[in-house]
Amino acid sequence: MMLRQTARKALLGLSSQRNFSPVSFASRLYHSNVIDHYENPRNVGSFDKNDSNVGTGLVGAPSCGDVMKLQVKIDSSGQITDARFKTFGCGSAIAASSLASEWVKGKSMEEVLTIKNSQIAKHLSLPPVKLHCSMLAEDAIRAAVEDYKNKQAEANGETVEA
Amino acid sequence: MSFVNRTAMATASRFLLLRRLSRSLKLSQTLVHSNSSRVSSNLIHKTIEPLDSFWPIGESHIRHDSSITTRSFSSQSQGPASIDNSSVLQEDEFHRLANFTIHDLLEKIEEYGDNVEIDGFDIDYGNEVLTLKLGSLGTYVLNKQTPNRQIWMSSPVSGPSRFDWDQDANVWIYRRTEAKLHKLLEEELENLCGEPIQLS
Repeated sequence: MMLRQTARKALLGLSSQRNFSPVSFASRLYHSNVIDHYENPRNVGSFDKNDSNVGTGLVGAPSCGDVMKLQVKIDSSGQITDARFKTFGCGSAIAASSLASEWVKGKSMEEVLTIKNSQIAKHLSLPPVKLHCSMLAEDAIRAAVEDYKNKQAEANGETVEA
Repeated sequence: MSFVNRTAMATASRFLLLRRLSRSLKLSQTLVHSNSSRVSSNLIHKTIEPLDSFWPIGESHIRHDSSITTRSFSSQSQGPASIDNSSVLQEDEFHRLANFTIHDLLEKIEEYGDNVEIDGFDIDYGNEVLTLKLGSLGTYVLNKQTPNRQIWMSSPVSGPSRFDWDQDANVWIYRRTEAKLHKLLEEELENLCGEPIQLS
């Protein structure tokens, strides 16, 4: 509770300045965007991974402390209409994958492949040690799209490079 | 507990069980295969080059050939570099190599710091994590990622990187970009601080 209040106070007036380097005491707190995603996660859940319109990206490993599953529903024109995620990991990892699930909605497959971990990290003001979480989220997006493409290729009878 | 945590914990406990299984039953291929096949079937075919940090659950026990590391798995796909890992890097060997690398970097960068004029220069090593602060230029974090046998780096210039040990070339290499740890640091530090540094 106190943490949230302190975080809010520390970040008042900084809304438009994402590049602002935080005051030393605030730098050890989670950015309000991260807390928001943690407390109000968007798109948590699953699709049926056997559904032909669903691409599933599963990245990370529990031994590393991070596992992300991102699923996307893609229509016939290649647009991502919906997304769901489930993540086992730290607050930054949850926020990064939650953000990824938001960002992919309504975009084409080609467009989401241009989402970079640096954008995710910047939006969440991730500290250096948590940049790896944003990379994992980027990987999850790619894996989900790749899975969908592979499924489409298999359905069309093409041979797939494993 | 938030919803995410609860659902994540259910999945996590399954993962944990698989992990313990795969650890304690190293030679029992069939048992691990039957438990983990549902999870890893997705992983084997759907994961490609970007997943350089990926350590498939029980995957090493599913493969029947002798090169049983994740590295050889991803080198089958269109990965940037195909690293020959015909022998698995054992954990104690990994610790020896990684600790040596990190300590060596610590010493050299410490000395470098004495010679360059960077406001807010600070280098710290604690809990096996190397943190290099360069004031307003940013912060580097280097640490071991033992399950993957990797050294992870977070750079204010190039973001996150994950280095694997290449036994043939005797270097730590980030497969996605083929960047070598020492070279990358040398380049970045020189660009940031204005003075060259010799790390290799």
